[in-house]
Amino acid sequence: MTQGCLKVMTAGQAISRFLQDGDCIAMGGFVTNRRPYVFAREIVRQGKRGLYLEGGPSAGDMDMLIGAGCVSVMIASYVANSGYTQVCRRFRHAVETGAILFDDYSLDVQTIAYHGAALGLPYVPVKNMLGSDLCNLWGISEEERAKRPKLPQKKFVIREDPFNPESLLCLIPTPKIDVALVHAQIASPDGTFRIAGPQFQDLDIAIAAKHTLVSCEELVPDDEIRKNPELNTCTGLCVDAVVHAPYGAHPTQCFGKYDYDSSFLTEYDRASRTQGEFDQFVCKYVTRLKTHEEYLSFLGENRLSNLRIDEEYGFRRGLKRK
Amino acid sequence: MEFTPNQMMAVALARLVEDGKAYIVGTGLPLVGATLAKNTHAPNARLIFETALFEGSPPEVPTSVSDLRVNYGATVLWPQYRYFGFQSIYAARGLIAGGFLGGAQIDPYGNLNSTSIGSYFSPETRLSGSGGANGIATYCDTFIIMKHEKRRFAEKIDYVTSIGWGDGPGGRSKAGLDPSKGPRAVVTEMGVMRFDGKSKRMYIAEYFPGRSPQEIQNSTGFFIDGSRAFESEPPSADVLDVLLNQVDPMRLMI
Repeated sequence: MTQGCLKVMTAGQAISRFLQDGDCIAMGGFVTNRRPYVFAREIVRQGKRGLYLEGGPSAGDMDMLIGAGCVSVMIASYVANSGYTQVCRRFRHAVETGAILFDDYSLDVQTIAYHGAALGLPYVPVKNMLGSDLCNLWGISEEERAKRPKLPQKKFVIREDPFNPESLLCLIPTPKIDVALVHAQIASPDGTFRIAGPQFQDLDIAIAAKHTLVSCEELVPDDEIRKNPELNTCTGLCVDAVVHAPYGAHPTQCFGKYDYDSSFLTEYDRASRTQGEFDQFVCKYVTRLKTHEEYLSFLGENRLSNLRIDEEYGFRRGLKRK
Repeated sequence: MEFTPNQMMAVALARLVEDGKAYIVGTGLPLVGATLAKNTHAPNARLIFETALFEGSPPEVPTSVSDLRVNYGATVLWPQYRYFGFQSIYAARGLIAGGFLGGAQIDPYGNLNSTSIGSYFSPETRLSGSGGANGIATYCDTFIIMKHEKRRFAEKIDYVTSIGWGDGPGGRSKAGLDPSKGPRAVVTEMGVMRFDGKSKRMYIAEYFPGRSPQEIQNSTGFFIDGSRAFESEPPSADVLDVLLNQVDPMRLMI
């Protein structure tokens, strides 16, 4: 945790200060909704290496980190830009060629493991995964885990319920997250942030992580955000960096603000088919553009304003989606 | 009346939905089927999403379970962990009538693979993974949507992502799971399969107009009993009209 208004900085400063090669990172949002793309793009620009991704409902942002060579380990339940790319392609290629270490959980198990981590618990007992290959096959073996102290040293342990010996339970270790990346609608300089609409797993990873970096659509004064604490999601005590980044979740959706950018997601679907086209895509939209502001001006006001939601519906009515 | 195989599937899925009951739905055809049901015979069916976004009535087809379109008319937008508790508690109390699942491979006992083809450790094809499917199969009755091909309906599947009836009678108890829950129906472009109460094996319950039990057997990689099969009712003109002009006019899914 960093002091007061010293927390306001650029995405570049936040990533270079708080995210180290080899860290375990978790990202907020859900597949094509409120993913913290502004940070993902910055991680690619800075060429971070050896990251361990705690995936949950992960998507194109993590796929981009894999394609850019930033990742060596991932634990996830789903990696998709749903509706555009059913299995993210750089992820798929990396798993099929063994380029990254990968293990599977189910989505609700990861959800509850992040919640357990936010409660300070060492593990969570669940029924999920029993009787399936999620409980038979370890994508990352115990020997591999032993070489990597940041990883849980076992995928799971099956035990009888001590209070009900007839019943089996699958014990899931809670992850030790180094850095959580979250995009919120509103934040203030002391780190307090407010997510409007679905929260997904964001508060849990923000509480659990050693460092939490927040990007926001609107940066408002501390006394302003404190006028309505009942609407706030997280105390700044859990937050290290606040980045003012309108459209920071582009190309994904942001409740109350904008819809997904279908043509961008379609372009990524095509480009991510091969490493060569992916590299060109990343150059065009990420590395060539040095800051978030450059990214936005490259996309252009017209393209972005066409994504603004219709207030009455909460999404862009009639948005071209194919 | 003309209709495509996908449209017939959506209609068959809608017929599984009962008015007033709650269902866990994903995107794609299940959501189209459930939305069709809500706009025809089951206006009070409640749709639950694994994102913990509850009971919305999307006016346009959502492309994911987190799509802003899912929030429209919703009762609560809970944090995601709330779905976990709701699913296990309310499925056990019988208040979730079922969850819809898809997969790449299925075996005669309804065990499903949505993880990988070939060896798990060096897959020929890596698929999407469990998402919320494993949890739904753990706690709830399920309705499964599949493409009907011999290589997909296999005696032995490459990876069990979501348990069905396990290895047959008693299979779920052995795994530590509620034996009263499990797969109820499999809907494909050819018909509707169900599971025998005793043997827990899949059988043909219905074949769609223009299909036959023999055609289904020819597209199934294990023996499948067709002795109880009957031909499904074709969709009515009214239902097709709602499907094509109201539920998915952009033809995103059908």
